[in-house]
Amino acid sequence: MTLAVQLPQAGLRRYGSLLSPMAWSALAVAAAVVLLSVFAPILAPYDPDYVDLNNVLAGPGAQHLLGTDALGRDLLSRLMYGGRTSLLGPTIVVIGSTVLGLLLGLVAGWSEGWLGKVLGRVFDLLFAFPALLMAMLAIALFGKGLLAPILAMTIAYVPYVARLAQSLVVAERSRPYVQAYRVLGFRTPWVVLGRVLPNLIPTVGAQSTLNFGYVLADLAALSFIGLGVQPPTSDWGAMIEESRGALLGGYILPAFWPALVVVLVVVAVNVIGEELSDRIGGKLS
Amino acid sequence: MTQLLTIEDFTLGFRDRPPLLDSVSLHVNDGEAVALVGESGSGKSLTTRAALGLFPGGSEFSGTVAVQGLDTLTASKQRLMELRRGHASMIFQDPRAGINPVRTVGDFLTETLLRFDGLSRAEATERAVKQLEQVGLRRAKELMDQHPHQLSGGMLQRVMIAAALLNSPDLLLCDEPTTALDVTTQAGIVKLLREEQQSRGMGMLFITHDLNLAASLCERVYVLRRGRVVEQGGTQNVFLTPQQDYTRQLVEATPVIDVAGLEAPAAAGVPLLEVAGLSKTYQLPRGDVITALDNAAFTLPEGGSLGVVGESGSGKSTLARLVVALETATEGELTLRGVPRPRRALKASERKVLAKDVQIVFQDPYLSLDPRIPVGNAVADVFRLHQRQGRKQAKVSAAELLGRVGIGPERFDARPRALSGGQRQRVALAKALAARPRLLVLDEATSALDVSVQAQVLELVEELREQLGLTILFVTHDLAVVSRLCSQILVMHQGGIVEQGPTARILEDPGDEYTRNLIASRPRPLWDAEPVTA
Repeated sequence: MTLAVQLPQAGLRRYGSLLSPMAWSALAVAAAVVLLSVFAPILAPYDPDYVDLNNVLAGPGAQHLLGTDALGRDLLSRLMYGGRTSLLGPTIVVIGSTVLGLLLGLVAGWSEGWLGKVLGRVFDLLFAFPALLMAMLAIALFGKGLLAPILAMTIAYVPYVARLAQSLVVAERSRPYVQAYRVLGFRTPWVVLGRVLPNLIPTVGAQSTLNFGYVLADLAALSFIGLGVQPPTSDWGAMIEESRGALLGGYILPAFWPALVVVLVVVAVNVIGEELSDRIGGKLS
Repeated sequence: MTQLLTIEDFTLGFRDRPPLLDSVSLHVNDGEAVALVGESGSGKSLTTRAALGLFPGGSEFSGTVAVQGLDTLTASKQRLMELRRGHASMIFQDPRAGINPVRTVGDFLTETLLRFDGLSRAEATERAVKQLEQVGLRRAKELMDQHPHQLSGGMLQRVMIAAALLNSPDLLLCDEPTTALDVTTQAGIVKLLREEQQSRGMGMLFITHDLNLAASLCERVYVLRRGRVVEQGGTQNVFLTPQQDYTRQLVEATPVIDVAGLEAPAAAGVPLLEVAGLSKTYQLPRGDVITALDNAAFTLPEGGSLGVVGESGSGKSTLARLVVALETATEGELTLRGVPRPRRALKASERKVLAKDVQIVFQDPYLSLDPRIPVGNAVADVFRLHQRQGRKQAKVSAAELLGRVGIGPERFDARPRALSGGQRQRVALAKALAARPRLLVLDEATSALDVSVQAQVLELVEELREQLGLTILFVTHDLAVVSRLCSQILVMHQGGIVEQGPTARILEDPGDEYTRNLIASRPRPLWDAEPVTA
């Protein structure tokens, strides 16, 4: 039967409408961290690898704004340079997993036959492996460094995107507007890539933004246990690991700063991701 | 006679916005059935909810809303609870939304009796069973142990009515309680409500968008438009001799079966669509087979108009989807323009050829258009695909066609969400017509629209049909809408065709029992209803 009731006009909120103060601050934090990292070679006060044994474990001061580590290296400079590796990893993982996940999700969601079912099971299987475990396996196979964990994490995060994309496509496929495209004689690749895919991007983008935070924390953890970025390259996770000795000696700052930045960035990214998905939810309902 | 519900100068709105309700005044007396009619967004539900002390969050209001002297605008929570529990009940449109799906009907009905009325479980059960029987549900005892999903929509709405009547309320508020139901089911519910209201001497406020329904149930009526009462009075007076332009429009737009106005069907021309022995079955995972369409056969001549009428589950939508090749038949022949349809999924090239023969417009104006694509481009895309037009030429063609369906050039770049329901259906129509099909399938294409908008869209379809020589297959539940547009009717019931023929013949002299029932179930005004036979 039919309901002669009209849904409320969707879309009173627009993308351009004001962000919440929370989201603004999150955006500001994320932007600041990215800018400081990208422009580290210009902005950093010291060479991050310059060892100054006369000035070890110095507290914050005019010379070293955030202090120095056990080798007398400037912590601020190391944080800024560390951001380059620490942010690069998650960026590659998120882009890779989003692209792969979207494609696989589209295929899985669109094919009504065995292909969709098989892909769905493969996603489930991948879900069963924690991303960190996959990364450690990859390191065991290909050696330490940044490349192996990035590859492994990309694969590990594909199902998060693919599963979401798949379910969205299944819902979208049965919507009248998609059926109208079919009846109008538009070819399937055009409909799927040209029309359905763009409608998924906001939702998937929100999920990927959230993933960024998780990947950042995972990669930092890998570096912390010594499997990720290798010394002397600066990296937030590695910095925490290097500061363990100093920490036991009562010097908390060298470990505190990188930990703080990791937390700040993860929280900021989460807030942005939540805001995005809230907005999309509000827009589509 | 005392006033049960008194609403005076009730204004409700949000800060800095025009009010949603503007000085609404209405009253319901003891033992009186009053209708509140209006189109979507007119404020019917807001008004009624206010009677129970339910207001949208953050809204500001003024005036008086009183039930039996209790002002719900100022009453304490405690008093409002007492009011809702004992004096005023409400029945909503969607019965499934109002009941916990994991608890039984019995749990639902006895909950308040146990918690607030201090009845023992046995007493509460007895009273609930009695109430279920009273609302016309058989085997009430077994029903008590069933879950909502085991009941049909009509049965569940009876359960909701039983729940509303449990505490013998003085005032019953009904918010479109039959809108989600089939006509034949609706007829039973309306009869039940009328009987209960009369025998209990309850006051009833019945909200509906359907004037016919209001006329079949209520002595007095208020017509609401954009938050204002534009007309009120005895139902018969208001509907037969409306004083206000808006009421007049509403009355005129309300579809009625008008056999006299029908043109005789043209002599059968060349068959465009021939269907023989067409069946569609679905295999369920556990081995059950569902027959959605059973052995359908009919012929639709070029330039003809066929209405496919049936209730939910009759197979009418399956038929429509088979015709446009969104489904593949399990058995039987479907021939369009002399070309037999293969019984397999179509190839891309076949689909493109078929698209020039048949197009479809769906029911839901909010889901029928791609939310991201400006409507002009949506139509232009079809011109580019089918008429091989360049980007510029396609835009010109699209603007021209949109103009023809009543969408001006200023809307060319609008996204669907910026358009009203009626405008969206016009765009959907333009999109379908851009492929220049011969056969246009309308799958409940006007059912989700307000009556006045529906009337305009129907008029447009009629106009386009004449101008373009279209053949129409109109799938709908509404006999009156079909009688307006189609010269032939096909009545479906439970997957099969029970009757087909010229519209006038079917409506005046139905040969089938089910068709007769369908016609008799249409709401009839109180003033010319036959005496109610119990």
